[in-house]
Amino acid sequence: MKSLIVIGFALMTATSALAADPGVTDTEIKIGDVNIMTGPASFIGRAVSVGSKIAAAEINATGGVNGRKITIVTEDDGYVPARSFQALTKLLQVDGIFALNGTSGTANVLAMMPLITEANLPTVVTTAPNELVYEPVRPSVFTIGASYANAFYAQLKYIHDKAKPANAVYGLIRQDDDFGVAVEHGYDRAVKEFGVKDAIRLRFKKGTSNFAAEVAQMKQAGVGVLANGGIIAGAANILAEARKNGMDLQIASVWSEDMPPSVNLSAPAGYDYLVGDYVALQGRAIDRFMEKAKKYASAEEIGAINRYTYITYVGVKVLAKAMGDCGKDLTRACTIAKLKALKGYDTDGLTAPISFDNAKQLAGTAVAVYRLDAKSKTFTPLTDFVDY
Amino acid sequence: MDFLLLLVSTGLVTGAAYGLIAMGFALVYKATGVVNFAQGELMMLTAYVSFSVADRTGLSFLMLMALTIPISMAIGLLLERIFIRPMLGEPVFSIVMVTIGLAVILRGLVILVWGPDPAVFDVGLPDTVIRLGPVPFYPAQLVLVAAMAGVTTIAWIFLRFSRIGIAMRAVAANETAARLSGISVSRIHAFAWMFSSAIASIAGVLFAANFKLAPDMWFQGMKSFPAVILGGLDSVIGASVAGLVIGVVENLFQGYVGQGMREISGFIVIVVVLMVRPYGLFGSREIERV
Repeated sequence: MKSLIVIGFALMTATSALAADPGVTDTEIKIGDVNIMTGPASFIGRAVSVGSKIAAAEINATGGVNGRKITIVTEDDGYVPARSFQALTKLLQVDGIFALNGTSGTANVLAMMPLITEANLPTVVTTAPNELVYEPVRPSVFTIGASYANAFYAQLKYIHDKAKPANAVYGLIRQDDDFGVAVEHGYDRAVKEFGVKDAIRLRFKKGTSNFAAEVAQMKQAGVGVLANGGIIAGAANILAEARKNGMDLQIASVWSEDMPPSVNLSAPAGYDYLVGDYVALQGRAIDRFMEKAKKYASAEEIGAINRYTYITYVGVKVLAKAMGDCGKDLTRACTIAKLKALKGYDTDGLTAPISFDNAKQLAGTAVAVYRLDAKSKTFTPLTDFVDY
Repeated sequence: MDFLLLLVSTGLVTGAAYGLIAMGFALVYKATGVVNFAQGELMMLTAYVSFSVADRTGLSFLMLMALTIPISMAIGLLLERIFIRPMLGEPVFSIVMVTIGLAVILRGLVILVWGPDPAVFDVGLPDTVIRLGPVPFYPAQLVLVAAMAGVTTIAWIFLRFSRIGIAMRAVAANETAARLSGISVSRIHAFAWMFSSAIASIAGVLFAANFKLAPDMWFQGMKSFPAVILGGLDSVIGASVAGLVIGVVENLFQGYVGQGMREISGFIVIVVVLMVRPYGLFGSREIERV
């Protein structure tokens, strides 16, 4: 009889263990991170990885999530959507992650979406706040960040309302892809709302280096306010060509242009361009973050820090908050419910407060506008975080 | 009129870069009968090597090039010895596949050694804008055009009058006959790789000086390929002229027709020219295209 009771108890325990979600033990929670660790865009992946590491280290140093330590498991996707799918498959089937934070680019998240949905995997998307990610809404997916459209609208609104350009002739140059379309949405809204002259809209292929013809077209059109949808070397080459042509411009830029590698490329052209970002770029929030970074990251890792580090840090903290609210009985369903209920979570100034209690499960959409000082390569905030 | 001049002048600058890269393709093809699909990567690798040299030494532009070119020739020789020499006598297709493999290796190597971040390559030239009439230029742009003119002239003289140049043409015309007349074909192949590396380094340094140094620079090799076909796959001089044509046509199409026409305009020119002259503007009739 005794042995029957023991067997029965063992079976009950086993059933209970089987019912628990993967990635959680009494001492550990595994969070997955699919990331761009190789290839030309790996400076983004390195920054993301450092953000996850600092957040996990900080949480673990203060006792973890209800006593469980966070472990980040990173897989490289090289920015290739097919590899993102493989990477998440490995994280789910081999590593057994509980939740996902790093999700690479927009196309990469979309490639992983069937797996995320099937596993009901709590996922916080911080680096690809694209409409395609949060529309239609997937119950387990939560997105932090503004759209490119709002980021451009915010900058053009600042130029129109505050800078009051003498030559209010507007022009747009953007990539001929989904990202470029989002940039154009913001530009379109701005020129229509302000009733300004929309002189020219140009498209270019991703990877273009030579913008001589495009800049000549903009000069011919008399552009004085430029929505520059180029990124990194592309944006810098556009500005260099504009400088050569002696163009006096007020410039709105993509938020990638606030990262140090981009600033180093663009600053020699001498334009004090604007950026709109949903992440703080400087000030006390960043000072406080850097103190944490010095505590938990190596000098090399600190060198890799950029805006993607801050936002990924916020992503892990938000996940930890939701998991913490579930108490000891941590499940994916509970974490998703707590994320869905999250309201006004304070990110210590790194972004606007995070609230997912909305139909799109979308937060941190407020944008701040900054101006680059090309000489000192530093940014000055021009506005607070504002929703547009 | 100013608009047209701007488009033509900047088209010549881009075309000069295409032309230099295309000359490297044509030189290897002329001597070995193989299309080196790693030419763009060779251009990128030598530019990065030069970047490291400049970073450590702070040399003036001419001194930098004086050091970069021999280093690049040594790199070309090394690559030929390791990857191409063992393939001598193997089917052309196999050698072409080796160059494709080499291209992938070089791309990875560049990111491994120098990292993925793009960089400003200060080659020691001033960045003040120079105006020639109504047209503005950066000094690096003018140097790029001048370098292409210089390299084209030197290549013409070299292929026409030097012993090695004549031997290269002999190998290209009839490898067996060249071998029977005492020409070391393997040595000629090595020279072709060395010289194409030297040209690649000039193209790479000046391209990076004008358009930034980045690990996706190799793609310019693909963008230069229309110039190789247009000029004639085995015509070094034709490649340089065709590079200029492609550069100017691209800019004119983009400027006057607009929206994405830059990307297809070069191919439109190729299709039209090849329908009239299947072997390119300056190529030999008996080219076997790979």
